[in-house]
Amino acid sequence: MNRRRFLKVLGATSGGAAALSGCGIGPEPTEHLVPYVVPPEDQVPGTATYYATTCRECAAGCGLHAKVREGRVIKLEGNPESPINEGRLCSRGQAALQGLYNPDRITDPMARGPNGEWQKLSWDDAIGRLAGKVKEARGRGIVFLTGLEPGSFGELVDAWVKEVGGRHVTHESFAFEALREGNRRAFGTAAIPLYDFARARYIVSFGADFMETWLSPVGYQNSFTRAHSFDGDRDTLMAKFVFVGPRLSLTGMSADEWIAAKPATEALLALAMAQVILAGRLAPAPLDAGRLERLLPTPQRVAPVVGIAAAEIERLAREFAASQGGLAVGGGVATQYGDGAELLVVAVNILNYVAGQVGKTVRFGPNQAVADAGTFRQLTDLVADLAAGKVELLLVHGANPGHTLPAAFSQALSKVGYKVSFASYWDETAAASDLVLPDLHPLEQWSDSRPRTGIHALQQPVMQPVFPNTMHTGDVLLRVAGKAGTFKDYLQSRWKELHQRVGKGRDFADFWTDALQHGGLYAEAPAQPVRLDPGVVQLLGDVGGAGSGAADEPLLIVFPSLALHDGRGANKPWLQELPDPVSKITWHAWVEVHPETAAKWQLANGDILLLKSPHGTVRAPVWITPGIRPGVLAVPTGQGHKAYGRYAKDRSFNAFELLSDAPASFGGRAFAAPVAVVKTGDHRRLATVEGDAREQGRGIIEVLSLARARELKSGAHPFAEREVPGYAEDAQKAWAEAQHQKASLGDYAGTPPRWGMAIDLSKCTGCSACVTACYAENNLATVGEELVVRRRQMSWMRIERYYTADADGRRVGALVNPMLCQQCGNAPCEPVCPVYAAYHTPDGLNGQVYNRCVGTRYCANNCPYKVRYFNWFNFAEPGGEWESWPDPLNMLLNPDVTVREKGVMEKCTFCVQRIRGAQNRARLEDRSVRDGDITPACAQACPSEAIVFGDLHDRSSLVARLAADPRGYHVHSELNTKPAITYLARVMHGAARGA
Amino acid sequence: MAETATAAARGTRVTYDFVTRAIARTLGHPGKGYFALLAAAVALLAVGIVCLLFLLRYGLGLAGYSHPVYWAVYITCFVFWVGIAHSGTLISAILFLFRSGWRTAVYRTAEAMTVFAVMTAGLFPLIHIGRQWYFYWLIPYPNERGLWPNFKSPLIWDEFAIGTYFTVSTVFLIMGLIPDIAAVRDVATGWRKKLYAITSLGWRGTNEQWRHYTRGYLYLAALATPLVLSVHSVVSWDFAMAIVPGWHATIFAPYFVAGAIYSGVAMVITLLVPIRKLFHLEQLITVHHFENLAKLCLLTGMIVGYAYCVEYFTAWFGGNPAERAAFWYRAFGPFWWASWTMIICNAFLPQLLWFKPIRTNILALFVISIFVNIGMWFERYVIIVVSLAGEPFERFANATYNPTWADWGIMAGSFGWFFMWFLLFVKNFPAVSISEVKEVLPAPTRGKAARA
Repeated sequence: MNRRRFLKVLGATSGGAAALSGCGIGPEPTEHLVPYVVPPEDQVPGTATYYATTCRECAAGCGLHAKVREGRVIKLEGNPESPINEGRLCSRGQAALQGLYNPDRITDPMARGPNGEWQKLSWDDAIGRLAGKVKEARGRGIVFLTGLEPGSFGELVDAWVKEVGGRHVTHESFAFEALREGNRRAFGTAAIPLYDFARARYIVSFGADFMETWLSPVGYQNSFTRAHSFDGDRDTLMAKFVFVGPRLSLTGMSADEWIAAKPATEALLALAMAQVILAGRLAPAPLDAGRLERLLPTPQRVAPVVGIAAAEIERLAREFAASQGGLAVGGGVATQYGDGAELLVVAVNILNYVAGQVGKTVRFGPNQAVADAGTFRQLTDLVADLAAGKVELLLVHGANPGHTLPAAFSQALSKVGYKVSFASYWDETAAASDLVLPDLHPLEQWSDSRPRTGIHALQQPVMQPVFPNTMHTGDVLLRVAGKAGTFKDYLQSRWKELHQRVGKGRDFADFWTDALQHGGLYAEAPAQPVRLDPGVVQLLGDVGGAGSGAADEPLLIVFPSLALHDGRGANKPWLQELPDPVSKITWHAWVEVHPETAAKWQLANGDILLLKSPHGTVRAPVWITPGIRPGVLAVPTGQGHKAYGRYAKDRSFNAFELLSDAPASFGGRAFAAPVAVVKTGDHRRLATVEGDAREQGRGIIEVLSLARARELKSGAHPFAEREVPGYAEDAQKAWAEAQHQKASLGDYAGTPPRWGMAIDLSKCTGCSACVTACYAENNLATVGEELVVRRRQMSWMRIERYYTADADGRRVGALVNPMLCQQCGNAPCEPVCPVYAAYHTPDGLNGQVYNRCVGTRYCANNCPYKVRYFNWFNFAEPGGEWESWPDPLNMLLNPDVTVREKGVMEKCTFCVQRIRGAQNRARLEDRSVRDGDITPACAQACPSEAIVFGDLHDRSSLVARLAADPRGYHVHSELNTKPAITYLARVMHGAARGA
Repeated sequence: MAETATAAARGTRVTYDFVTRAIARTLGHPGKGYFALLAAAVALLAVGIVCLLFLLRYGLGLAGYSHPVYWAVYITCFVFWVGIAHSGTLISAILFLFRSGWRTAVYRTAEAMTVFAVMTAGLFPLIHIGRQWYFYWLIPYPNERGLWPNFKSPLIWDEFAIGTYFTVSTVFLIMGLIPDIAAVRDVATGWRKKLYAITSLGWRGTNEQWRHYTRGYLYLAALATPLVLSVHSVVSWDFAMAIVPGWHATIFAPYFVAGAIYSGVAMVITLLVPIRKLFHLEQLITVHHFENLAKLCLLTGMIVGYAYCVEYFTAWFGGNPAERAAFWYRAFGPFWWASWTMIICNAFLPQLLWFKPIRTNILALFVISIFVNIGMWFERYVIIVVSLAGEPFERFANATYNPTWADWGIMAGSFGWFFMWFLLFVKNFPAVSISEVKEVLPAPTRGKAARA
């Protein structure tokens, strides 16, 4: 071989090798780490910085801690100092990151050209155009439509609009008009009070979904759990929770009793309960309540209308009063059926009032800012003005009326002279406008908000803007108005005023820095006493008339989606792929049908129905569930976007299209409509993660009645017989135990920590915040609808939801449990791995070495909990068909966790990176790890504090104490897997039902 | 012997000379039919290779897997082909030790089938793993990382069992071939002469060579015999050692071995019928041979049927709710059709072999053998896929499963691969043993007939 030929062969082979690795076969190509030339002073590589800010994903205004690594925010956690969410955060809040790094963000100011095409502008040009248009439109109708802005930005908009002679309208899709109107009619104030769940001893929710979207879901869920969880040590009374509503929502799943009253008759039930309490003098009612007694309907009268026995109503009323801590809540979106929905709130208020709870569990004073949102009537008035050509310039910020308002809005837009959008994404409204001035994401901007009276929450930029050519809308407004300074200066000037009021003579700089560090200023709001409006008696006659709707047409309820809210979450793959906590469906919407209705119409899961309301028509796949009243159908909001980026566009249907254009009697929207149903004959496979909805006695979820749970003394083991079944006793003692002790890998009995977890099912509600936290912390891939249909979802944390019922199918309820790797002491996955990729760490974890895994998947087959997930494709391949993190979404990847390659098995390891981090910190500080140093992402996010993590070998740790709780049990313990997760049985008032 | 007697009665004397000529004729110039078959096999293989390339490029997600069905068609094919590989050694080694004369005419085909089936089976564990390019991590070899495979894992046992079986059965096949290759070497010309000269390893047929050869063959047969039982026992432990209900059963080793022999014998029948016809070997491979194979089929089929009953009985009698749920799902769940295909093909259809007219009807046997092959494929499919899909422990996680083009394509490729090798073999090496068939012929009389 001569030199020439040698080189030729060499070239051909190395080219082949390059092609091979380019095809994804063989080792991944080398990547280069480039060090800083001039390192930024405030950044220590590998060390996270946390900034306090405020969540703007809904009106609740939870406090945030943003975890920033190397200049990029990579995770959002709750701010423990915020009195709203007390360190907890829901899925939607955590997914704000995917809004920040959304690949479909608008990167530059854009204007519509003469032929309707979009052209990039410079900011000077864009602001000049806007200023010009403002000048032209002055006096000819300028409207600024924003989302709810209870803070300085809202004030700036108000001032700006006043100056240019326009009007400011705020739009929240779920503005709780019925609740506000009901409070106004009952108490003379349209404010929304604070509902103190934590102090309640008996909770009745009349369709208020306070764990999903009702007012302040994270905070309410947290305080609800404090009242409703069972804590044997405290020996307090566990509050009872009754849910009244046509649909078993996530909130309803936590209930001890679900009463599916006939829709729109719930008010009668509440009034009859109040009547029983008053008539029986069961509670120290305020003096002015006495005159209601004769006016209220008796249980006997309402029973046939509501569809519940009179004795049941009396029992509920007696329990409610006897608890001396009753709390009735109402006015949820899903019971905002139409005209008269405010009467339900009036009735609920009367019930609370006669039970003497107003001022105790219902406290006016710390009022919710959402009460200031524009009503639907204001918006329909606006639409009428638009259609009449009375508006020359429309500016839209922080709202997407093109999706959430009736189609009349989009049609009326053509009558508007000039439309300006401040959207960050190409949503329906931005796409229909003439000028788009992309705002900074809330995580990139200065702002503040007052979500509740007394709370001044600050927002600070936690990182440099992802797209540098976006601008704070506040800055834009100031520049258009020709004012000097930035919005930050404006904000500080507002805070200086606040400082003068509450600063107590401190230096402003200190005051400001202090507020920034703590995420804001938290003060108690003064109580605001209320009395029952005497005029309320005239309303009582109207109650009950609402229930007499047409009986033969099925009623369709539109309920707010937990993950997608009114649709604003639809462009975030974490939220799209988050299984709905009730239906477990991802990526598309569905219609809920009761099994009896389904049998009558001969429907199967996935059959497509045509739903025709008087206002619109949609096509929806059927999901059959016992969790809905027969004859009622329900669809979620959130999907059906016609724009809004790759993740949201063209998915399912927009449920808002089914709703009436006209505001109901309370000034809000009717979230129900009669529908005609047509079977199309089409079918689709639901993108669900649910297999069997029945637990079938597998001991996955144990339930104790409250009486039984109270009797348990420490050391008792009600689930012990399951722990060692009779037939396995010999094997357990003589053989398996010996084998277990002798296992050469890891130290099962020794002194190193044995990490463990306790999950209290009497606290877990199934809200799935932990699932999103896991996605964020552990770089879990989202796989998309097509792959979820094929069950390829990668969620390490799975919330299993099983339905329960009496033997005759009545008294339906649901049980949930979070299923994640149990870190078995005697793990079935470990011995079967041929290459030791699954191995036992000395501290008791079932480690998974991604680099070593060859992907035989034997471990996943042998895992009885089915908590191992396989990388079927390369989800990180840039530009690949299954790419999970298109640029710049990849910026949210946690640098402490490997992004897994295709062909590799992955699983939960109790956030081993956090364990090692805490151990390293402890070592640097020359101490041992203390209980509470380590919090896995799921436990950190959990709004109900159901998950506790720690060292089982440390007898003083909380987790060790919980693991020894008499309610504790292990799932599938008959397999001798020795899980490190102890579940504490759910405790329920009344008899426990089987799944 | 009976078969030669019948052949003789029909007018053709089966002599040493006839045997050599008849078998050497099979190596003659291939006809169009042969090339058509070979082309079909290569085309199937090409389909499989293309599918495999896609799989390597994009990942295993192209196949039908779901959570929790982590093993599916590829492992089904693996067990199926390992099963096919079983009858070869059974016929050549065990029947050799039992001195069953009838094996001589069929054992070469069976052995060749064994070797190629193991070669096919061995591909599947490599194809089915997630990172195929790291397959060698399963092999214990000294490396700078100081890593060793996990000898507790049944997959490692598998690797050794299959490896050993492949080595021994290949040696056994080659060893049996030596005198025959020498025989055809003496009549061959051209490149084949060279090939046979090398592969016959200098065989001259001397007394001493024959003495060593027969001894060696006997010992090798004795060595191979336990392998027949061990290989599929070990393969069955891939499943039995797991805790999946439907897998985790003590009956698995004998159940799988019987099933393997059953499917292997059926495959021998499926292969012999066309070979006998194509190569005109009716006088050597007679109806009597087929009847004996059918009897073996009936016996092993009965064992398999019994094992099915035991599985269901144990699930019911054991009272373990997960076990009961798994078998209820198997029989009446969404995969009922697969389970009943398996039971009808494997347990009911072979009952026809009780009747002599069917046992001696070649066409009927051929049809039954194909159904047994299908049934045995479905047996593995049911055990693997259906047990996983049912997921009796974590009710929430069960799911259905549908194979995709990647599954079918690679499975088709495996048939192409197997038949390609088999077709190449039968055209280049004697498919029926020349020397051993002669062993069972009556002693030659003096004269022309004695010269072979």
